[in-house]
Amino acid sequence: MEYRRISDVVWELPATNGMAVPGRIFASEALMELVRSERASDQVGNVAHLPGIVKASFAMPDIHWGYGFPIGGVAATAINEGGVVSPGGVGFDICCGVRLLASNFTEADFDSHKDAVMGNLDWRIPRGLGKGAIAEARLVPDVLARGAAAALDAGYGWEDDLEKCEEKGTSVGADPSVISDRAVERGRGQLGSLGAGNHFLEIQVVDEIHDSEAARAFGLAEGMLVVMLHCGSRGLGHQTCTDQLRVMGPAMGRYDIALPDRQLACVPVDTPEGREYLGAMAASANFAWANRHILAHAAREAFADAFGVSPRATGMSLVFDVAHNLAKIETHEVGGRPKELCVHRKGATRAFGPGHPDLPEDLVAVGQPVLVPGSMGTASWVLRGVNDNPAFASAAHGAGRVMSRKMAKKKESGHQVREQLQARGISVRAGSIGLLSEEAPYAYKDVDEVADVCARAGLAAKVARLRPVGVVKG
Amino acid sequence: MARPMTWSAPAEIDVDDGPDHRVGPGDHNARMPFRVLSHTAETGIEATANTLGELIGELCAGMFGLIGSAEPSSARKWVEVKVVAQAVEELVVDTLSELLYHSEVENLIFCAFRVSTDPGNLAVRVKAGGVLVGAVEPVGPPIKAVTYHDLVVEQRKDVWYGRVYFDV
Repeated sequence: MEYRRISDVVWELPATNGMAVPGRIFASEALMELVRSERASDQVGNVAHLPGIVKASFAMPDIHWGYGFPIGGVAATAINEGGVVSPGGVGFDICCGVRLLASNFTEADFDSHKDAVMGNLDWRIPRGLGKGAIAEARLVPDVLARGAAAALDAGYGWEDDLEKCEEKGTSVGADPSVISDRAVERGRGQLGSLGAGNHFLEIQVVDEIHDSEAARAFGLAEGMLVVMLHCGSRGLGHQTCTDQLRVMGPAMGRYDIALPDRQLACVPVDTPEGREYLGAMAASANFAWANRHILAHAAREAFADAFGVSPRATGMSLVFDVAHNLAKIETHEVGGRPKELCVHRKGATRAFGPGHPDLPEDLVAVGQPVLVPGSMGTASWVLRGVNDNPAFASAAHGAGRVMSRKMAKKKESGHQVREQLQARGISVRAGSIGLLSEEAPYAYKDVDEVADVCARAGLAAKVARLRPVGVVKG
Repeated sequence: MARPMTWSAPAEIDVDDGPDHRVGPGDHNARMPFRVLSHTAETGIEATANTLGELIGELCAGMFGLIGSAEPSSARKWVEVKVVAQAVEELVVDTLSELLYHSEVENLIFCAFRVSTDPGNLAVRVKAGGVLVGAVEPVGPPIKAVTYHDLVVEQRKDVWYGRVYFDV
């Protein structure tokens, strides 16, 4: 597939061979070289076949090869024009996302309490394969209906957390009745658990401030110690997506839909199957919001214990919680007219600009925080949403992998990776040292360049760069 | 149901991290154990076998071999799954998905498999034996789900070929 450069950081695949719209990738020359070396660019073209898709099949600067959709894919379909919803445009880890906590601590404070903090996190954060959960299974039904609000009522987190959470931590339209018993069974032992793979808890230092007004509004200051969490809806979400794909595959024939990749299975939004999927997705998203809320509660307790203060005295308030695997009903202008769209973000972050009515009052002036985690040895970024975003108010969700897990493991052992991180002052607590090298910094793209392209493309603006000092992995 | 076959996860996985290995029509004289396919973010396996039942056994062994390695003789708890499907692709995806579900809720890594298929090849019964998760050293991240991406399950002359990618 031949992409042509149409501006500084935009590459376009013309709409041919059944594509309803063009494909459009936001990338620098160097990032585009990486995209061309794998099949992600083909997947951008495949997504452009979705019925009802408008404007373009977009890909964020951290795009890489996924299944069905590329990771970093954004596609919006017009609901009133037969637009579809596709579980593949959300992924199995429904509402996987990132949560960032501020603190009253500095790097020097962490250095003097490092062993206590890392040790506390090590035993308080369930992670890896079959390692348990923080919350009791009986909470799951309420969590499916009410998300983080249910966890708050059960005693986890702080009241003001909800305001700083996308959707206030409760997804609209959740229908727990369509979540299968099997999905509930998988979720019962996992509410308040990190998982494994690329999921993590990191302790970071605000290293650079690029927008002091926005940083102030987000509650960030240079030198501040912060905590970032990355995880999703665990087995409950995985099972829900599996269940829904079973329904959607046969349903596609009834709606006369044929697509180049079966993982793109979809149905029109306004159909019984479409509505059921969105209800199930929202209920699973509620599990994810609550999961991150509960893990953040455990992180606050770990710091409070380590420093001998109350959790409130840690100052670990929520900066923001964003999802990067969701489909949402949003209104955007298309061809000069507002349209109701189903916006799929598969490995992409919603990025509302200043003035958006869904933003918390104290963020309306600066825009939504956009959290872009990097690799555990480099950096992460806090960006902010801007107006006139060219991709339905979406931005990157991470650095983006560049190397397969097996290749990464062959390059260095987990012990080598841990030694290198520790030599750079980064403490590591890994559930499995052997798996650490799969997530080594060299397996990811340059997150600084991803953030730079986001800014140059008008997807989001830079606010702060975060440098890791402690990593907790599954 | 046809006579069951016993399938076990090998202790060593044949890893291919170069270009994706493809099995062509002429490459099927001997049964090939599963191979790991390269993928930037996820992971996949492919296998060939003389029958669909053998292929499903290989793919089961391959999927759990990606997570943890255990000797088949160490299997302590057995689970049985039965799947009926409309097509062989669904049969494979649904069978693997069923085993993933049981693996997670029973806290097991499966390492031994007994597979039976019906003569029409659209129903399968798998008895999977596993060990507790804590008793196995992980060799890869947990598998979240079985995908339909680039899925192939087909008979090529006198062998069955399968290719499956997983979300990890």
